[in-house]
Amino acid sequence: MEIKADGSDGSLVLIKQGAEARVFESTFVGSRRCIIKERFSKKYRHPTLDSKLTLKRLNAEARCMTKARRLGVVTPVLYAVDTVMHTLTFEYVEGPSVKDILLGFGLVGVDEERMADITTQIGNAIGKLHDGGLVHGDLTTSNMLLRSSVNQLVLIDFGLSFTSTLPEDKAVDLYVLERALLSMHSSCGNVMDRILAAYRKSSKQWSSTLNKLAEVRQRGRKRTMVG
Amino acid sequence: MKAFEVGGTTLCLALFSDVTNSKELLDLMQSATLEPEVAFLNASLIPDVFPVLAAAHKTLVAKSRDSLTTRTLHSELVYNFSGSKHISESLKRCGIADNTSYILAARFGASADEMVAVEKLIKGNEIDLSELEQRINQAQIQKHYKISNLELEISSLADAITCRIAARDAL
Repeated sequence: MEIKADGSDGSLVLIKQGAEARVFESTFVGSRRCIIKERFSKKYRHPTLDSKLTLKRLNAEARCMTKARRLGVVTPVLYAVDTVMHTLTFEYVEGPSVKDILLGFGLVGVDEERMADITTQIGNAIGKLHDGGLVHGDLTTSNMLLRSSVNQLVLIDFGLSFTSTLPEDKAVDLYVLERALLSMHSSCGNVMDRILAAYRKSSKQWSSTLNKLAEVRQRGRKRTMVG
Repeated sequence: MKAFEVGGTTLCLALFSDVTNSKELLDLMQSATLEPEVAFLNASLIPDVFPVLAAAHKTLVAKSRDSLTTRTLHSELVYNFSGSKHISESLKRCGIADNTSYILAARFGASADEMVAVEKLIKGNEIDLSELEQRINQAQIQKHYKISNLELEISSLADAITCRIAARDAL
């Protein structure tokens, strides 16, 4: 019996290369379309440290993705984790990113109904994550997809996620999104206010988080460490 | 009987209801005299073949690296399907017991002759794999895999199980 060791069935097509990982499209058992995210080693790091960090982040990402689903937030279905090849294999989500949709709104005008639906879904999803003690860590519109068939929001890239119940961490999470919206989608009007309105309804702990957000806006993402 | 392509080999699955000789099968398996070697899964925990294929994929990757956790390729499949790290508990829950009457049999790289032998081994009615979904014990699945109703609002049972199988070693 011959068994392939590369952990995949089909061919690999590179979709994107980032600083931490390469993302491929491929097929998983039963010819399902899938995404393979490979964390590669950094040659400038000490080999021992490098393998430890890579493995820790790989496992953390798998944990956070599945935890989000347990909290009722849609993320791609995880198919496999390979700790030797440093890869995650998950469901291929068919649909555009929220970034592309909002950029489209910037060009041809805002579809109010669609905008309301999208921002409500975003606020709800973040509220659920935060109440469950999960901080996404990289909330940008390119890390949100809309599944074409059902217009359902899918959060992706949990590579910077961690668990925390501190209002500070949640506020910074929202602040990162606010900055991203300002720089990418200022032509769409105030998207953040709509998201925060939905967040307020969905999160039970909205008040302490939003108070903290006001503080974070004053000083920026990094905490001042003077005195 | 149906064959699925997994990681360069095949996995043959056959579903049986009203099985009367599960004690005999269990004895054969535990004395390692089962011929041909085959995995018996508690089919009431299986809503779809996909999670089984994901577990099979995981099993084959471990096999190719000589890093099986359990003794045989087929016991590893049962263990992987459980999504738990507790081997004996996994084999008890996701494998078969003395009185199990609803069984999914699985064999890697099986020839046609071997599958005929498997079908002879099991005294029961072979039924179509499409019956899996209607015959599940949902309460048992939710309890075993710790799947909340909140998660089921956004996920199918099969997807929830697949996530647990895949993420087990990351937890």
